[in-house]
Amino acid sequence: MADEDNSSDRVDNETPKPEKMFTLKKWNAVAMWSWDVECDTCAICRVQVMDACLRCQAESKAGSGRQDCVVVWGECNHSFHYCCMSLWVKQNNRCPLCQQEWSIQRMGK
Amino acid sequence: MSNHIRGRIVGREDSENSPVQKRTLLSAEYPGSKKLKLADEMTDTANQKRPNFSALSTSPNGINKTASLVNTKPGAAKKLVIKNLKEKPKLPENYEEQTWEKLKEAVIAIQTSKSIRYSLEELYQAVENMCNHKMASHLYLNLTTLAEQHVKANIQQFMAESMDRHFFLKKMNECWQSHCRQMIMIRSIFLYLDRTYVLQNPTIHSIWDMGLEMFRHHIVMNTLVQTRCVDGLLMLIEKERQGDAVDTTLLKSLLRMLSDLQIYQEAFESKFLLATERLYAAEGQRLMQEHDVPEYLAHVNKRLAEENERLLHYLDSSTKWALIHTVEKQLLTEHLTAVLQKGLDLLLEENRISDLCLLYKLFTRVKTGLQELCTNFNAYIKKKGRTIVIDPEKDKTMVQELLDFKEKMDNIVSKCFQSNEKFSNSLKEAFEQFINQRTNKPAELIAKFVDSKLRAGNKEASEEELERLLDKIMVLFRFIHGKDVFEAFYKKDLAKRLLVGKSASVDAEKSMLSKLKQECGGGFTSKLEGMFKDMELSKDINVAFRQYMSNARTAHLLNTIDLTVSILTMGYWPTYVAMDVTLPAEMVQYQNFFNRFYLGKHSGRKLQWQPTLGHCLLKAEFPQGRKELQVSLFQALVLLLFNQADNITFEEIKAATNIEDGELRRTLQSLACGKARVLQKTPRGREVENNDVFAYDSQFTNKLCRIKINQIQMKETNEEQKATEERVFQDRQYQIDAAIVRIMKMRKTLSHNLLISELYNILKFPVKPADLKKRIESLIDRDYMERDKDTTNQYNYVT
Repeated sequence: MADEDNSSDRVDNETPKPEKMFTLKKWNAVAMWSWDVECDTCAICRVQVMDACLRCQAESKAGSGRQDCVVVWGECNHSFHYCCMSLWVKQNNRCPLCQQEWSIQRMGK
Repeated sequence: MSNHIRGRIVGREDSENSPVQKRTLLSAEYPGSKKLKLADEMTDTANQKRPNFSALSTSPNGINKTASLVNTKPGAAKKLVIKNLKEKPKLPENYEEQTWEKLKEAVIAIQTSKSIRYSLEELYQAVENMCNHKMASHLYLNLTTLAEQHVKANIQQFMAESMDRHFFLKKMNECWQSHCRQMIMIRSIFLYLDRTYVLQNPTIHSIWDMGLEMFRHHIVMNTLVQTRCVDGLLMLIEKERQGDAVDTTLLKSLLRMLSDLQIYQEAFESKFLLATERLYAAEGQRLMQEHDVPEYLAHVNKRLAEENERLLHYLDSSTKWALIHTVEKQLLTEHLTAVLQKGLDLLLEENRISDLCLLYKLFTRVKTGLQELCTNFNAYIKKKGRTIVIDPEKDKTMVQELLDFKEKMDNIVSKCFQSNEKFSNSLKEAFEQFINQRTNKPAELIAKFVDSKLRAGNKEASEEELERLLDKIMVLFRFIHGKDVFEAFYKKDLAKRLLVGKSASVDAEKSMLSKLKQECGGGFTSKLEGMFKDMELSKDINVAFRQYMSNARTAHLLNTIDLTVSILTMGYWPTYVAMDVTLPAEMVQYQNFFNRFYLGKHSGRKLQWQPTLGHCLLKAEFPQGRKELQVSLFQALVLLLFNQADNITFEEIKAATNIEDGELRRTLQSLACGKARVLQKTPRGREVENNDVFAYDSQFTNKLCRIKINQIQMKETNEEQKATEERVFQDRQYQIDAAIVRIMKMRKTLSHNLLISELYNILKFPVKPADLKKRIESLIDRDYMERDKDTTNQYNYVT
């Protein structure tokens, strides 16, 4: 009991304290992933790239939209829905935004 | 006695059609009388030849003589020759007069209730003889005159100036009863006449009918007597309706008399119905004023039962339809609207099951009853429902009230309205109508209600109860037009449950999800399902990350933090405010490890950390003992600062952590002013000011070893609400686009109007035509479709 009284006294006058008062043991973090794109909207279908493209939505394959409807980046670093782009290149093998020859730099995974 | 007469009458009626039937009937009535049996046989088809033979047998020259001849010479074998009589046997000259005198005496004796001098057998024989000697018509005429005289004489007793009605009726009844009795006796004697002469002449009444005719003509058709009689009867009935006991046998007997005399309808029924109508019209008016509706209905029910009793006891059954109809009309039809307006709301409100049952039962009797009831029922639900839904102050209890209300109404429909389909449809229609009177809010509150039930710590319900509750909620959900509003709010709460691990039961969550899917289709739930999938994927990712960390050279890390990351797919989840905070170096280190690990696995992605959603477990070395604190990330960041300093001002904390101002104030409040006060604030007080100084509480004690420090929730502001609604609106645009493309892809070419109507079928939320037009314009701009060059108002799909 005496110890306690002492300690409380000491609090009032700048008490010494343990080496480390608080230690972080566990951290439950939350992170949100999205495609690493310059522009959020696909220039071809005008739908956000995070959502399935308009045609895929229309097919309404419930829940499977994301896996099928990935994003593709060109060498020019412009990005579109893969579905939209593969239709586009049949008519015109150029990037719809910068008119450069279209070649795939990487695919979303 | 009256039964006896009744039986006779039936016999009489039948006899007009088939003599054979008459025979069996009569012989059944007098099983002991040989004479009658004999008479029966005579009614055979051969009876035209019979009379001669029987005349022989009864005459003094007949068989009697021959019999004596046979007797005088017994045993002698002589040839018996039968010759025709030389001359026809003759009747005594005054035979007719004498016989009739005899009969007349007997009839008068019957009529005056005196004993008859002759045996009945003798009299019967006399009648038979007279008939057989072609005196039938004369005999009939005489009899008629005799009867007429007697009946005529009877009228005097009813003609007195004033007479007590009841007494009059009694007398009338006596007179009628004795008339019947007499006529039966007379007919028995004159049966042979009845069977032969009367039967052969269709224009002539049978003796019984003749008696009735006399009685009708001379007594009941007398205006005074008839009026007195009918009025008396009506008076008795009215007395009985007023609750007095009356002589129902008398009533019954007299009413039978009227119908036997075939004047029941003209003389009695119309007057009776008129009196009934007048009585109940007045009663209906009066009681509607005096009584409340349940009492009134009970009374009507009682009245109907009484009138049915009346029909059973003394009224002629032909009156049934008209009588009941009159009562229904005067007591119900006339007051339908008044009853409904005055009482229905109250009955429904107070859930008076038995009264409502009665109401329904009575209203089925009248033509428009159920229709009116249904309309009013519908109106009540709409009115009552609106009060539940419309008042913002009752938002807290709205959903529970809606559930209770629905259950109550369902119960009433099934118990009182016999699950009438019209009523249950009307119930649905009414719910749908009122629940959508307030846009968005009911959807939002239903979502929140579901959240409160699915959240851990809700121990009030077992699995089955929860399941049943969810089913009920789905019924409400079905009524809501803006289902996407529900989805938006549901999603927000689901996210919270998943991230904090607060979901009460995975099974319940999945079951709710499948219900939603069933109701609205896969498109509606795909994102919600995606959220569950994210949570499962995150588990795998974390296992892989731990593996990765143990392989990597991490020995140089100062202390090991157990890092678990939930990876959410943007778009599935609600959007959260992005916030940059300053993390301690060791945390940044871990974050970087994870970034490297994750982005190495998934190319083309980027990660955005959400500090607002993170939470931590801290070990705290208080002088009084070691504690574990379960805190939010922000709380952890603040607490970790106290490893370096003892007293820190608000401004310093803000600079060190970079937590947004309002958020930081709330965080400090939770640490210094909440239940478990880990920090001390100077000066004391609830509000956190800029110059406040914080120090950790070295005296901190707590019973528990692991303490959860609750965050202070920011009240959901209007802005946040608006933001959710705005998001809903945005999503609707996309959905409209998708729907248009889907339709156009299928149809290729479609007129504007058809497109619009198909859209209305598909879209699950309310939209204005103008909005749809805008979306069509936008799709044309983006080359999804084009206007037809030749036909205006027609669109073509562009592939």
